Amino acid sequence: MIDVERIDYWAASGSGPFHRSSVAAKAIFLLLVVTAAVMTTNPYPLAAGYAVLLAAAAATGLPFVRMVVLSWYAALFAILYGISIRGGASLYAVMILKAITPAFAMLAFIVSTPYPRIFAFLSSVLPEILAAGLFMTYRSFFILLDMMKHFMAAIRLRGGFSPGSIVNNSSNLARGIAMLLVHAVERSERLYAVMAVRGYNGSMAEAGTFGFRSADWLPLGTGALVFSLALAGRYCR
Amino acid sequence: MHIPDGILPIPLWALGFILLFIALGISLFRLRAMDRKKKIPLLGALSAVMLVAMSLEIFPLAYHINLSVAAGILLGPELGFIAAFITNMILALMGHGGITVIGLNSLLLGSEAVVGHTLFSLMQNRLPIFWRAALVTLVTLFLVSLLLISVVAASDLNPGYFFSGDEHKPVFQGEVSISRFSFMILALGSLGWAIEAAITGSVLKFISQVKPGLLSHILHATRSDAVR
Repeated sequence: MIDVERIDYWAASGSGPFHRSSVAAKAIFLLLVVTAAVMTTNPYPLAAGYAVLLAAAAATGLPFVRMVVLSWYAALFAILYGISIRGGASLYAVMILKAITPAFAMLAFIVSTPYPRIFAFLSSVLPEILAAGLFMTYRSFFILLDMMKHFMAAIRLRGGFSPGSIVNNSSNLARGIAMLLVHAVERSERLYAVMAVRGYNGSMAEAGTFGFRSADWLPLGTGALVFSLALAGRYCR
Repeated sequence: MHIPDGILPIPLWALGFILLFIALGISLFRLRAMDRKKKIPLLGALSAVMLVAMSLEIFPLAYHINLSVAAGILLGPELGFIAAFITNMILALMGHGGITVIGLNSLLLGSEAVVGHTLFSLMQNRLPIFWRAALVTLVTLFLVSLLLISVVAASDLNPGYFFSGDEHKPVFQGEVSISRFSFMILALGSLGWAIEAAITGSVLKFISQVKPGLLSHILHATRSDAVR
């Protein structure tokens, strides 16, 4: 479901136009698409916007097939909500498109931007403790995920996970998670000592310039196009 | 459940951001005496555990647990809320849950941590640790599901808002069927709550056997608490 490792790999290893563009431009792109999704009440401009995003992702070497699959996760709540409203197929289409279009834009953002750069960008608006918390979570996540994978492999080899056996699986999973929690707390205590010794002074974010670059035409142009489609759908009748 | 963008009306998610800022402000203020070098690694570690838990699927249901209640019990309400916000922020940055609804999603996830901690403290030692944690988790998730239903009820949308040939002439007249939405959420969620309750109970039972001090609020003790 959440494939952070793969997302991280895509973000760090790509070299296409989306990867070369600045964080600020991609953030504006994301805001434009989200605004388009929020303001539109017509499924056709949104569908066209989704197609534009898909085409841009495919043309620039992003993993668009996987992105499409991940973007549909956002449709789950929209479907539940849609079932609660007495409406037709067009209404469901609007709700689903309103959910998956911004989700796809977000995926385009994160598969082309390493998380430390995103957190560094966010640190300009968030309090230091929250920005540092994001960095620390990101750093700890991969270490703990690795630990959990080793544990699950060990349990699987010992016959601890069997398809269809919810009770057995949950019990073994709980032990693994409990161990992970204890390790995580111990790790945090060691890290506290390391930070104290090294004189942590309250700044953890990657320092960097957030200016615009020549490759920004792609995300800005794509976002503007999607936004224009939503505006046209709203006012051109 | 992570609310996506574009579904709820603007005033509702704007209010969500305002309430989130207030809650974060209160949490950060109450934690001001705690050493930052201690807070940050703890937040990172427990938020990461929550994310790892969310990335694990329980076959064959493809359901994932949150561990937000366990995090709240161990970290306390303030750190638990902040950890829930950080987790939700990273989830939004993975495309799970929208950007405009980070406020509402964080309030829902953070409520699980806060309510879970409160109920667990109130129950004291009335039950063995497994049953105490499991019952608290079950009640907490039920209450937060009611909160989610309240959020949806507060949206009170006219379907014509979503689809209209002319925005001034709604095609459909009607309301969101809260009863239908509630039935789906409660029916779909109940099995998940049971699984999460069992796992949280097992996790805390394990911790009580291996590191019982973690259940005595040592993680979120501040200097002033230590002096007392």
